[in-house]
This record gives sequence, structure tokens and C-alpha cells, in this order.
Amino acid sequence: MLKIENLSKNFGSFRAVNQINLQIDKGELYGFLGPNGAGKTTTIKMITGLLSPTEGNIYLNGNDVWLNPIESKMNLGYIPDQPFLYDKLTGREFLFFCGGLYNLSKNHIRNKIDGLIDLLKIGSWIDKRTEEYSQGMKQRIVIASAFIHDPKLIIVDEPMIGLDPQSAYIVKRFFTDSVKNGTTIFMSTHSLNVVEEICTRVGIINKGNIIFDDKLEVLRKLKDEKNNNFEELFIKLTNEE
Amino acid sequence: MNQILHILRYKLIIFIRLNTRFDLPGLLKNIGSSIIYIVFASGAFFFTKKFVWFLISEIKIGMFLLHEFISIILFIFFLAINIGNILVSYSTLYKSNEVGFLITKPLNPSKVFILKFLDNFFYSSSTLLFILLAVLAGYASYFELKFTYLLILIFLNFIPFMFSAGSLGVIILMLLIKLASRFNPRKVIYGLVFTYLSVVFIFFKINSPVSLATTVMNFYPLIDKDKYLRELISPLIKFLPNNWLSETAYWLTNNNLSEAIPLIVLQIGCSILLFSIAVSIGKHWYFKTWLMNLKLTADNIALRKNSKSFFSFLNNSLFSPRTESIIKKDFWMFVREPSQWLHFLILLFMIMIFILSVAGIRYVGLGNFYLQTGIYLSVFLFNLLLISTISLRFVFPLISLEGESFWKLKSAPLDRYYIINKKLTSWGIIILLISTGLSYFSNHRFELQIELMAFVVNIIASITIAIINLGMGGLFANYKEKNAIRLSSSQGASITFLINIVYILFIVLLLFNPMSNYFLAIMLTRGFNMLSILYPLIPITFVSFLLIGVFIRAAYNSIQKDF
Repeated sequence: MLKIENLSKNFGSFRAVNQINLQIDKGELYGFLGPNGAGKTTTIKMITGLLSPTEGNIYLNGNDVWLNPIESKMNLGYIPDQPFLYDKLTGREFLFFCGGLYNLSKNHIRNKIDGLIDLLKIGSWIDKRTEEYSQGMKQRIVIASAFIHDPKLIIVDEPMIGLDPQSAYIVKRFFTDSVKNGTTIFMSTHSLNVVEEICTRVGIINKGNIIFDDKLEVLRKLKDEKNNNFEELFIKLTNEE
Repeated sequence: MNQILHILRYKLIIFIRLNTRFDLPGLLKNIGSSIIYIVFASGAFFFTKKFVWFLISEIKIGMFLLHEFISIILFIFFLAINIGNILVSYSTLYKSNEVGFLITKPLNPSKVFILKFLDNFFYSSSTLLFILLAVLAGYASYFELKFTYLLILIFLNFIPFMFSAGSLGVIILMLLIKLASRFNPRKVIYGLVFTYLSVVFIFFKINSPVSLATTVMNFYPLIDKDKYLRELISPLIKFLPNNWLSETAYWLTNNNLSEAIPLIVLQIGCSILLFSIAVSIGKHWYFKTWLMNLKLTADNIALRKNSKSFFSFLNNSLFSPRTESIIKKDFWMFVREPSQWLHFLILLFMIMIFILSVAGIRYVGLGNFYLQTGIYLSVFLFNLLLISTISLRFVFPLISLEGESFWKLKSAPLDRYYIINKKLTSWGIIILLISTGLSYFSNHRFELQIELMAFVVNIIASITIAIINLGMGGLFANYKEKNAIRLSSSQGASITFLINIVYILFIVLLLFNPMSNYFLAIMLTRGFNMLSILYPLIPITFVSFLLIGVFIRAAYNSIQKDF
């Protein structure tokens, strides 16, 4: 589904991402972990077309994201770390706007919105301007916008920032249900609990390098072997580098 | 005072860091900007000098009419600063995050008010001031004004004049919020618009440039056109700061400081008075009106209804889904932001007034052929300046106004040129409509060939100007700034305006020869080769297409940049 080859990104003399390689298969919920400034958001922005790579390639369903951006992005949904929305539009208008960008028909968008309002518990907020929303409500609208065109791959950057426990629960359940329905999710997060709870595979990035990439069970085994909890193991792994 | 200085110090640090990037692109941008500023300042200087020479020596309009025309231009300028300051101050004094942050600190809100007021004034007016100083220098150089007189004109009259306009703006704003909390806010806004329109209407009714010129010409040569003909000016006009400024300039060029001093005193006095009123009202009302504004906003949200308009996202449309998405999004973002549509309506009204004024001008019979050419090209230049103003105010900020929500468009399956194309479509159509109206009403008394030439040049120039603004808006994109007025008065916007002016002057200069020959032929009642009118179209088209290519590419590159 998603293949990353020798991907690097330099900001001036600083190398934010260093020759990383990853492969994520269909139906996986991939947890992308790393401390602050490790290169998670930079990697995600390169996948979604917001940052151009210095080196390397990204393939989505066999299409090079940077050589065939339009075909690739048709299969991609993106949830950024900060839910910036057009503040003068209502949630419904924003979702119609997003659906239009993917050439969807009005009927398709209408039906999809009805379903997403229900699943994400957006309720009557959908017809209020997004400038009136709480952080959690904005996040739910952004999530809905990423799913509106039924993408094959969802890229999520820190989905739990600013969410109350109820919102976090709704979002986690929504992601696991989507994966069950065949969607692939690539999710960057700080939250080890979230990874442990919902991910099937885990990658850890530190100082721009991938230092761990395997099934969740392997990480669990490692944790048990070293007699640590996840937090301690994570700190140990990222400090060893 | 210490607190104000402390905050100013950090604001200065931020400003310096933002404007002194030492990487190669930043350096190139700064060098390029400086070169453009210097070239333009020199251009404005020489152009003003030449233009004053043309009016005084060639057209012989006389010192009185020259200064009365300057006074009219200054009146429009005063209103522009005043209205601009109301709109910018509303965003920065009542809606900015910075104010929200400062209000939570142990700082008297009146200090916040003074800080933001000065910040607005200097931020929005610095470039304008710079350009106008070059114009003033050109004027002073033509009249060989003493350097001390130039300094007096700038510091004791011109800057206080601008300051009065800004202070009055913020006073009106606080009054408006007070009134809006008592009456219906919509009615208050309509009342304000009506008041401004009435002021403009009354001003031109009692001080029409055409009737002033006609009166002077009727009495000529019985009167000296260089004398200050006080009796021809309405008593009301004598109480306006624009008149004090133009009259001061008149007396200083006549080396008569004693006549100028009372006017300078009035100007400074008015400025101090308005600033004191603004600060005093600010001390008592700013925090109250800030809270009132919060309440008004909350009330407005509670009363907001989702009316199903014809342009609703929910309705089917003839456009493709992608086109519809971008156009409707931009439309709703525009109509739901009062500072945007209000400013647009005011500009549209100004254009209507201008159209009504120029539609009645009969060029033939207006003195010598030089005068006719001068007036024709001045109208032509003004038409393009209006297009440039609209483009700068509404097209330049288009990319920046995407703000941090731009991630959605940039991560969507859209070609970058498609985004540029669609973003330009709505404003392109509006600008073309305005341009067509301006061109038609300025040329409808001429032969078809002249009308056609003017139409083609106006259309090509309007498209080019709109694209220059879009491209430069991309090049100087600031996704953090949500205020369109601040964006269109930023450093990048000033440079864009300078580029627009150079381009407009290039067109006007190319039209000078054929048009003066045309008016000469009419005056001598001899034949004229109409084809020669079309020759300037070749270089104009060539340069315009070149600029279109360059600035479309600039817009593309800006969207392509890392986000």
C-alpha cells in the first residue's frame, strides 16, 4: 500500500529525515512513534505532498507520490496535527468543499456526511461555523474530511492532541473500525497507550532514523524481555541512538 | 510607560528577525525589494516633477488650480487612510490573538490600546508615507522649495494630517461598537456607509474640480491663475485638513511662511486634538468596547441562521465539483468577512463616482491638444490605478488568506495551475467587468477605433495587473496573517503596487504620441491615420504576456513551496 524508499529531508544543513525505508501493507494500522523533533511530521508531510523530499521516493499503490501526485492523492486521506479549518464555513460546507476536491457527486457527499456525523458524533455542530468549534470538534470534522472520499490510505499526525477522553474514544473506535473495513492507517503519535491499544505494527523514528519497525507483538516481547513497561522501553530505545 | 517600552522592544526584535533573514532567498528578496523601492522613489520623484511642470508650463492650469486639485486628491487620501484604519483597527484591537494574550496580563488595557493603535498606524502607513515623501520631494524640487520648508511640509503638516485620519478612524470605531451594542449592529454599519457616501457626495458637490476649473477659465485672463483665489473655495472646505495641507504647500512655494503658519498650527492642533480624544476615549472605552464586542460576536453567533442561498454548497451547480468547491469556498469566505465586502462596496462606490465624473468629460474643445492628451491619459492612468487598487486589496491576499487551512487544498488531488486558475477566476471576472465599465465610460465619446484600442489595452492591462498581484501575493505569502487589509499594506504589497505603477506608466507613455497626434489632428481638422493608434498595442501585448508568464510562474512556485 505505502512504500518509502531512502527518504531524506534536509532543512538547510539540518537533516530532519535520514534515508528511511518503510513498507506498510493493506489493512494495517501502523503506529509511527518518536520523540519531539524526531522527524515524524516531516515524513508525513512528504507523504501528503506538503514537503518535497530531498532524496528518495514514496509510492502509494505503486504510484510515485511526487511523480503522479493527482492519482496518488485520490487514494489518500490526511489528518494533520493541528485541525486548521476555513473558519467562515460550517462543518457541512467544509465537507462538501472537500468532497468536491475529489470530484464526488453531491449525493455521494450528502450520504457520506450523514454517516460520518453519526459515527463521529458531530450532531448539530455540523451546521455551525467552524470558528465556533472546540479543538475536539474541529478534529472530528478534519477526520470526517479525510474519510469523505473513502481513501485506501489514511495518514494521521498526532490524532489525540487536545481531545477529551470521550472524543479520543470515538476517534480510536473509528480508526479500528475503518481498518477492519480494509482501510490502511499510518498514524504518528506520542501516545504509547494508543499504539498499544489499536496499532498492528509499530515504527519508531529518532533523530531522523528508523530505529524499530515490526509487529506490535515483537515490541511487546521486547518489553517483557527487558522487564519494562512501554514508556521505559521507548525512552531506552530512543536514548540508545 | 515602562511596560509599553518593554512590549515595544520585543515587537521590534520580532520585526527585525522577520525582516532580516540571512539565507540566500531572503537576502535576494530584500535586495530586490530595496532596488524596487529606490527605483520607484526616484521614478515618483521625477514623474511628479515632470507632471507638475507639464501642468504648470504646458497646460498652464495655474498655481491655484494645481493646489486645489492636490487638495481634492488629499481628501480622497484622508478618507482612504481613515476607512482603512477603522477596518484594520477592528481586527487588531478587537479580534487579534495578541490582544487576547495581553489582556490576560497585568497590563492596563489603555496601554494595549495605545500600543496597537500606533502599531496599526505605522505598519499600514509606512510604505505609503515613503512613496508620498518621494512625490513631495519631486514637487518641492520643481518649485525649488527651501529644504527647511520641505521639512516643515512633511513633519509639521503631512504627518500630522495622516495621523489625524488614523486617530479619527479609531474614534469612529469605538463609537460604532458603543452604538452597535445599543442598536442593531447592521443598522449601525449601514449608517456608517451612508454617512461616508454622503460626505463624499457633499464634498464633490461643493468642491467639484470641473466647475472649479471652468470658473477659473471663465474669468481668465481677468484674474491671475497663480493667485490664491480664496473666494472661489467654499467656506466649509477651508476647515478641512486636506485644504490646510495643500494651502500650506501653496504658500511655502510662494516663500510666504507667515501665511502658512496659521495653517500649520491648525493641522498640528487638529492632529493633537484628535489623538488626545482617541487616547482619552481609549482609556475609558477600550476595554468596555472590547467586552461589548465579545458580547456582540456571541449574540451574532446565536442569531445566525443558515439560510439556503442559491450559492449554497448543498445545491447542484453547472461547474465541475472541483471548480465549484474552490469558487464557493472563496465566495463564502469573502461574504462572511464584513471587512472584505464592506471595503469592496466602498471601492465600488468610488468607482461609480469616478465613472459618473469621467463619462461627462468632453475632451474636444478643452484648450490645446496637449491639455486634451493630458486629461485623456490621466483618466486612462486613473482607470488602471483603480484596477491596481482592487487587485492589490483583493487579489494580492488571495494565496495568503488560504492561511494554515491551505493544507487541505495542497494535499488534495489538484494540479497547482488548476488552483491558481480557479483562485483567479472570480476576481478576474469582477476586475474585467469593472475594467470594461471604466473603459466604456471614459471613451464612449470617441471614434470606434479609439474605443476599441482603449478596451483592448484596458483588458490586457487588467488581466496582467491581476496576475502580477496574484504572483507577488504568492511570493510574499504570509499564511499566519488573517487580515486582508494588513496583507495588502505589507512590504510585499507595496512592492507589488510599485511594479503595477511602473507597468501602468509604461502603457501611458506608449499611448502619449498617438493620442497627442490624434488630438492635434482634431484641432487642426486634418485627417488622422487611425491605424497608428493600434501600434502601441504590439509592445503592450508583448510585455503584458511576458509579465503574465513570469507572475503565473511565481504563483505556481509559491504554491509548490514546502508548507
